Amino acid sequence: MSWWPFRPEEKKESFVEEYLALFKSSIPPIRKINQLEFIVLDTETTGLDVKKDHIISFGAVKIKQGKIRVDSAIELYPESSKSLANTAKIHGLINRENLLSPKTFSQKLLSYLGSGIIVGHHVNFDLEMLQKISSPFGLKSFPNPHLDTLDLAVRLEYGPHINWNEIPMREFGLDQLCERYQIQTEDRHTAAGDAFLTAQLLIKMLKSAETKGIDSFGKLFR
Amino acid sequence: MNVIINRVAEFLRKHPPFSFLEEGDLLSIAQSVEISYLSKDEWLFHQGEPARPHFFILKEGQIMLQEAGEIREYCDVGDVFGILALLGKRPYVLDALAGENCLIYSIPVAIFEKLLEKNPKVSLYFAAGFAAGQVVFKADLEKGQEARMEFSRKSEDHSLLIFSGQSAFRISKNVLTCQPENTIREAAQLMDERQVSSIIICNEQGYPLGIITDKDLRSKVLSKGISPDKPCSEIMSSPVITRKPDTAFADLYLSMIKNRLHHLILTEDGTAESPVSGILSDHDILLSMGNSPAVLIHALNNASTIEEMAQIRDRAETMLRYYLENEVAMDFVAGVMTEINDVIIQQAIAFGKKHLSKDYSEMEEVPFAFLSLGSEGREEQLLRTDQDNAILYGNVEADLKEKAQEYFQHLGSYVVEAMLTCGFSACPANIMASNADLVLPLSKWKAKFSEWVLHPSPEALLRSSIFFDFRVISGSLALGDELSFHVFEEIKKKPVFLNFLAKNALQNPPPLGFFRNFLVEKSGEHRDQFDIKARAMMPLTDLARLLVLYHGVSGINNTFKRFEKLAEIEPNYQELFTQAAKAYEILMRMRAIEGLQNGNSGRYIAPEKLGKIQRQLLKNTFGPIGELQDIIQVRFQLDFFRS
Repeated sequence: MSWWPFRPEEKKESFVEEYLALFKSSIPPIRKINQLEFIVLDTETTGLDVKKDHIISFGAVKIKQGKIRVDSAIELYPESSKSLANTAKIHGLINRENLLSPKTFSQKLLSYLGSGIIVGHHVNFDLEMLQKISSPFGLKSFPNPHLDTLDLAVRLEYGPHINWNEIPMREFGLDQLCERYQIQTEDRHTAAGDAFLTAQLLIKMLKSAETKGIDSFGKLFR
Repeated sequence: MNVIINRVAEFLRKHPPFSFLEEGDLLSIAQSVEISYLSKDEWLFHQGEPARPHFFILKEGQIMLQEAGEIREYCDVGDVFGILALLGKRPYVLDALAGENCLIYSIPVAIFEKLLEKNPKVSLYFAAGFAAGQVVFKADLEKGQEARMEFSRKSEDHSLLIFSGQSAFRISKNVLTCQPENTIREAAQLMDERQVSSIIICNEQGYPLGIITDKDLRSKVLSKGISPDKPCSEIMSSPVITRKPDTAFADLYLSMIKNRLHHLILTEDGTAESPVSGILSDHDILLSMGNSPAVLIHALNNASTIEEMAQIRDRAETMLRYYLENEVAMDFVAGVMTEINDVIIQQAIAFGKKHLSKDYSEMEEVPFAFLSLGSEGREEQLLRTDQDNAILYGNVEADLKEKAQEYFQHLGSYVVEAMLTCGFSACPANIMASNADLVLPLSKWKAKFSEWVLHPSPEALLRSSIFFDFRVISGSLALGDELSFHVFEEIKKKPVFLNFLAKNALQNPPPLGFFRNFLVEKSGEHRDQFDIKARAMMPLTDLARLLVLYHGVSGINNTFKRFEKLAEIEPNYQELFTQAAKAYEILMRMRAIEGLQNGNSGRYIAPEKLGKIQRQLLKNTFGPIGELQDIIQVRFQLDFFRS
């Protein structure tokens, strides 16, 4: 959605083309979960309104062959026009040096994501915020399969047929889930810190999913 | 610094030996950590498995280190373990089982070895632990010292240490027995049912009286013409030698060697006057000692899961390294590794068929051939580089066409995934049996090859040349032969195809520059490295393929065997072809050693890192390439030939 009604179709930059070309072949449904690559991410934003707010920091870590790879941990800080004063108070963020221009940020982001499976807690919100930064370069959406740890947690606790009205959503916040899965919560409210917690949550949940017969890409994304 | 790395570093900092490290070193270790999760009762590693390239520090939970089900040691949060095997380069001596849900940090040993060299405190810490034979490095140092005291008293016991490292042997506890009155035939039937090579004859209390083995049936019954209806007691070997089950492995093994026994019977109190509790066969010992081709192939054939095969394939790598470093003949090494890879594929196909049999029962009769292409097709894939494969199936009735395509594509995907699990990378060009374009009935494969032969374009040839190295791994050999025959017929009809192929074979630039220095990559990730695959091996592969197609030779896929065959066919170039075969063997060995050392495909070699002799050896292999390329240039008139 754009505030400017006559904006022409954004032309795709070559790095966006390259990224989109990765999705020509899809992941076979029988691929085992431990053969999949997950990118667990989180963003810190100035607020919850996708239209008005923007990303302050992006943090992510990859899971390959069932292992969180610390060497893949990444933190990126996109520049923004808005003053950081307000959010700095909440999150303790100070002005960062070396903020990335939207283009550089998008380039780094897409090359990092590759064709892996994107995971996050409320991941759709993060993806919308990220897409907003990259849209001037021709990115309409992220074709990566994505998995919300919230959905997975609910599925594991309430079974495959979910009546969302009956779900006590308060119990499925990241803090509550970390407590249930016995993950020490530290570094909350930094993007990378939350991504790291979510990654630990994911490997624990995937193990419990496996005992329920969810052991392949197809079953995870049924 | 990254929040995540800091978080990991903070945990490590609290525990020795990481507590001795400087901040920079600590962060570089933290950055290399891989975090995995084990739920209660899962295994981390088993006794006898080759050491992983990581050691472990427990972040959460509890790990129990066990030997034959008995707990030897508990690891708690902050304990370091799995390092003894790693630095000693030998298999794990204990089983590691998660006693609770565990979060485990794995640290690559390579990084740690560097720190050991740099930091005397850290190496002292480990040295103390090693001397004590410690399996777990406890979070507090005092225990390490206690253990060291213990050690000085017990050092005598280590005389047979050679055995303790590899004693992952399995004692069969479920022993097959029968009574002395049973007939020989009954005993043989029991052995057949259970697929074992021996049966113990026991009295009513279960005390062992004698033993009958496969060999006895051969040498005492069949060859002597004794009736199988006679009682067992007439032919059993008796009395038997027995031992207690908790005897040290070395003693058990020595009793077998001294008494020339293939089977050793274990009884509760170690005498023949107590009930049988187990049996140890030399076959079990052989299996435990691990890394011989026969053992690995046997183990693969008996594997019941893909994961099990993956572990065995890892063990094969240890064997490969040994062979390469000890200059074992390349045709043997390549033959063994090909057999191992083939068995993995055959097993995966069998599993896949079983998996699909419910939904596709009508497809089981359709003949098919699973084809390996490229290096595995040429029987020269030593390292687990890319997999290249395809499926060819018999032509089916029109009404079954769709279903057949669906079935074989599922089967192909299953095998490709299994290969991924076993460590073979995916083909970046998607030349794999999971790709619908490469799962085709015979008619379509024929058409595909005809198209390549009739309309060769440089781009098409670049992609398709590996298809000409196809080899049937499993299924119908006849289908493969029919396709080969078709290819040769098509080439006969359009021999100009060979000129195109020849041009393609000369596309790879010569490996040496004007001043006889290595041509290295000019830019990118592999700058200043020599691409041994593209510049030295591929030209030879291409030349060999071209010339066997030219001579219409089929059934020889190995590049060096192709050259050996060519030496027979063209005696005037005998020496050159023989040299080319040798050169290829040397290149294969170099690449594989390079790959094993660096844990990669070995494709890029830094010439300055090679020793002088190795560098000269590598240069010498280039000689035949240039000479062969000149011959091809003339024979296929490439100077006048325009594509």
